[in-house]
Amino acid sequence: MVVAKQNRTGRRAFLKAGGLVAAAGALTSMCVPTPGGGATHVHAHKRAWWIKSVNRPTLGETTPNFTRFSGRDMFALYPELKNQHDGEGSFEAEMKSGEKRAAQAMNERKPGFTLPDLQLTGGAWTLMHSTKPGSGLLSWTRVSVRTPAELGTARHTAPPQEMANLVKAAARLYGAGLVGISPMNEAYVNLKQPGDDAHQPPKDIVFEDVEVPAVTGTQFVIPMKMKWAVTIAIPMDLDLLSRAPTALGDAASALGYSHSVFVVASLAEFIRGLGYQAIPMVNDTAQSIPFAIDAGIGELSRLNKLVTPEFGPAVRLCKVFTDLPMACDKPVDFGLVDFCRHCKKCAEACPSRALSFDDEPSFKIVGPWNNPGHKTWFEDSYKCFQYWQKSNSACAICLTSCPYSKGDQAWIHEGVKAAASTVPVADAAFRAMDDAFGYGKQRAPEDWWNKEQLSGRKG
Amino acid sequence: MANGPEIYTITIRKRRWWAWTVAALWLMAELLFLQTAMGSMIEGEYRAATISWIVAAVFLAAGLVAWLGPHRPRKPENAQP
Repeated sequence: MVVAKQNRTGRRAFLKAGGLVAAAGALTSMCVPTPGGGATHVHAHKRAWWIKSVNRPTLGETTPNFTRFSGRDMFALYPELKNQHDGEGSFEAEMKSGEKRAAQAMNERKPGFTLPDLQLTGGAWTLMHSTKPGSGLLSWTRVSVRTPAELGTARHTAPPQEMANLVKAAARLYGAGLVGISPMNEAYVNLKQPGDDAHQPPKDIVFEDVEVPAVTGTQFVIPMKMKWAVTIAIPMDLDLLSRAPTALGDAASALGYSHSVFVVASLAEFIRGLGYQAIPMVNDTAQSIPFAIDAGIGELSRLNKLVTPEFGPAVRLCKVFTDLPMACDKPVDFGLVDFCRHCKKCAEACPSRALSFDDEPSFKIVGPWNNPGHKTWFEDSYKCFQYWQKSNSACAICLTSCPYSKGDQAWIHEGVKAAASTVPVADAAFRAMDDAFGYGKQRAPEDWWNKEQLSGRKG
Repeated sequence: MANGPEIYTITIRKRRWWAWTVAALWLMAELLFLQTAMGSMIEGEYRAATISWIVAAVFLAAGLVAWLGPHRPRKPENAQP
């Protein structure tokens, strides 16, 4: 009897085909061009495939109404705050007052306010508190690096993409979690800021046609030839941050600031060592978030803060202005704005109800602390600040509640973020799953010292 | 006790290609649940870890039952009606 040969795929053939498909997939993913990529000897840092480069920011793009702002003007807007400090309405006065309140909480034996908790934060602030804009590590001129001329050579030159890759590689070595480059935008630069002496009036920040940056008695002078901004995101310790609102939780922010100082100071010296000018800064001198959006580090969110695809909003931002010509990055879209429309978890978690519950972002500001001229979910900074005073801490609950703030140990987070980026109809389901799995909850401060400490983003 | 020869029946299952596909998907999902459970433990997300362990255990049991459980013999292809 003759049996016709069946046209059926056998197990061996099936597994073989599967292996070939997997190998082809792996090779393809290695060859896909990524934002900021380039064929240079320093390889560009690859980001996940679901983070797409776009020509315009998804949210936060400025209009002609957007003008330069003065970050420290906020205290002038709060007569109540001024009265609390004998008429001295300043950030420094508020910091001192906050320290007194934290000490009182320690004496009342509140969890998260023990002496070790307070001093952990005190230690973490060391680098940040030992410098001021334009001086010390944040000097606008060379600190210690030797210039190419001193080494008997010319300044380093290379194509813009290669220069960008060099700077990014250096920034990552110094501790940057994410780094991006954008063109200078003068509208993002503050109008004024205090100098070394907090009792003196703030100095003007001006752009002038000069060769080197300068800090004079009345001005911070930025050379007009500084046409590039390198923006850096420093990830904060998520486990420590989840102990907020306590003095212990504040250590995560404090350490983020001090890391920022180290990274931008080191990067500025690296750039100066190549033969160019560089101005390092943390929160000072310019608004970090719009530069970070333009540089593709993340998107603007319901928090009215930057959310990065990798670390969520739990990052500190810092930047370096320079005249070193580099290829710029583009803004990114990873589906965050759609996700924020549905999620609202941060607004629900905020104890002071300072965050917007509106479905759509708008141009309508909440108070004079907001800089108009861009579309976002504006926040009530005054309510937020009042809760800082009430809780004797810098809070940060919104940062840990965000579904994008996740550890880096469970692979499923990456899959969910990729799905949220590509299948926005599932955003509500992802938010519900985030709640069901118990993510975004604050942790008890008491056990932080007793547990085996986890490094980096594990927690 | 019978003195005659003991008789054993050995059943050789020839699984279809789609059975192997489903098994591969099941294995990947099982590994993902286990990795999520262990990763969540390290992250200190104990509720997420507990849910993942439970899902992984149920999924493992269901998969084993489906793979090893009783099966209906396939009708021979050249069988006469």
